[in-house]
Amino acid sequence: MAEEVVIPAWKRWLEGIGDQVGFFINFFRNIFVGGFEWSEFVRQCYEIGYRSVMLVGITSFIMGVVLILQLRPTLVSFGSVSMLPKTLSVSFVREIGPVIIGIICAGKIASSIGAELGSMKVTEQLSAMEVSGANPTQYLVVTRILATTLMVPLLSVLGDAIGLFGGFLALNLRDHMSFSLYFSKIIGALDFTDFLPALVKTIFFGFAIGFVGCYKGFHSNKGTESVGVAANSAVVTASLWIFVIDAIAVQITSLLFYK
Amino acid sequence: MEKTSEQTETKKQPAKKEEVVIAIKGLKKAFDGKHVLNDINLELKRGENLVILGRSGTGKSVTIECIVGLIKQDKGSLKVFGDEVIDMNDKKLKELRMKIGFLFQSGALYDSMTVRENLEFPLTRILKMKDQQEIDKRVEDALDSVGLLDSVEKMPSDLSGGMRKRAGLARTLVINPEIMLYDEPTTGLDPITSKEISELILSIQKKNKTSSIIITHDMECARITADRILVMEDGEYIAEGSFDELHKSKNKTVCAYFNDIL
Repeated sequence: MAEEVVIPAWKRWLEGIGDQVGFFINFFRNIFVGGFEWSEFVRQCYEIGYRSVMLVGITSFIMGVVLILQLRPTLVSFGSVSMLPKTLSVSFVREIGPVIIGIICAGKIASSIGAELGSMKVTEQLSAMEVSGANPTQYLVVTRILATTLMVPLLSVLGDAIGLFGGFLALNLRDHMSFSLYFSKIIGALDFTDFLPALVKTIFFGFAIGFVGCYKGFHSNKGTESVGVAANSAVVTASLWIFVIDAIAVQITSLLFYK
Repeated sequence: MEKTSEQTETKKQPAKKEEVVIAIKGLKKAFDGKHVLNDINLELKRGENLVILGRSGTGKSVTIECIVGLIKQDKGSLKVFGDEVIDMNDKKLKELRMKIGFLFQSGALYDSMTVRENLEFPLTRILKMKDQQEIDKRVEDALDSVGLLDSVEKMPSDLSGGMRKRAGLARTLVINPEIMLYDEPTTGLDPITSKEISELILSIQKKNKTSSIIITHDMECARITADRILVMEDGEYIAEGSFDELHKSKNKTVCAYFNDIL
C-alpha cells in the first residue's frame, strides 16, 4: 500500500475557504437553474418561521420588560421617566431586537438545519438524493436559506412588537401610562432610518443563519458524533456572523443616516 | 489476480447476451494522499450479478460510488453504457443516474417523508411525472414487489432495519433501473431477514433483467446472488470466479472468507 501523504493545515484551510465559496456560488446558481421547490420552501417557512414564534415572542417580551426595569432608575435620576418609551423603542428596534432575535434564531434554526442535514449526510440520505438524479442543493439548501432569509426579518418585526408591548406592561408596574399614549410615543420616536436599516440587517442575519446551517450540515463528517459537531459549529459560526454583520451594518447606517 | 472462472463451469449462467454495461480499466483513487483504489479493472455484463467481497476499507464502496459519479476517480477509465462517467456534464450524469438504482447500507430513506413520499420523490422530482394515478400505481407495484404494501403510509422511523432496506430497494426499483448497485444490503440484519433480502435481490434480477453489483461481507448473500465474485484486498482485486470456484481456492485471503462455509 502506498504511503499516506500529510496535507498541511494551511492547505486544508484554503480548501475550506474554497468549499464555502463554491457552496455560495452553487446556492445562487440553483435558485435560477431548474425548478424551484415551492412546496419544500413553504414547509421550511412553516418549520423555521411559525415554529420559532413562541420562542421569539417569549424572549422579546422578557427583553422589553427587563429593559424598562433596568432603564427606569437611571431615567428617574435624571427626571426623564417620560423618555422611557422613546428610549426603549429606539434601542429595541434599532439594535437590541434584531440582534437578540438573530442570536435566538441562530441557536434554534442554524443548529436545527445543521443537525438535520448532518444526520442526512451520516445516514447517506444526501448521497441517495444525489444518485437518484435529484439535486440536494436545490431541494434542501436553496429552500432552507431562502426560508430563513424571509422568516428571520418577519420574526424580528414580530419580536420588536412583542418586546415593545412587554415594555408597556413593565412601565405600568410602577408608573401609569395609557396604551394610546405609549403607542404614540414609540411611533413618534421611531423614524424610517431606525426601522429600515434594522430590517435590512435582519435579512442578512437570516441569510447567514441559513447558509451556515446548510454548509455545516452538508460538510459534516461521516459518523454520529459529527451531527452534534455540525449543530454546535453552526450555532457558534452563525452567532459570530450576526455580530460581524451587525458591526458592519452599524458602520454603514452611521455613515448614511446618523451624520 | 487469481482467475478461476475459466477452470470450471459457473453455477449460475449469466444472461446470454454478453453486452458490457460497466467497464472499468486502471481505476485509481486516493483520499488525502492515501490510495484506496489501485488499478481496478472490472466488467459487468448485462443481466449479471457480480459480488465484490473484501474487508472494510478496501475500496469496495468507493468503486460503486465512482460508477454513479458521487466520487471522481484520479486516474483510469470508467464507462457505463459505453460513456465515460468523468466526462459527463450534469445533464448526462442525471440521465445516467436515472438508469442506475443504488441501495445504500442504511436504506437511506428520507426521514421527514412517509414511505409513499419516499417512493414518489424520484417519480415527481426526477421523472417529472404528473399523473397521480400512474404515480400511485408505480409506488404500489414497487412496494408490492418487496412485500411492503402495508407500510405505505408509515414513517421510516416506524420501520425495522429489514423493512427500511426493502423500502429503500423499492425506491430504487420505482424508476425501473437497468443497473442495481447494492452497498452491503444485508449488513446489520438477522440471518433470516438477510436471506430474504438476498433472495429478493435475485428475484429482482430475474424479474427486471437488471445487471447488479453487490458489495457484501455476507457469504450467504454472495452464495445466493452471485453469478461471479471478485475478492478485493488493499484496493486491488486478488481473485475472481464463481462461488464454487473460489470456495476451492488456495489463496489465504480468499480462504478466510469461505472458512465457515461447509
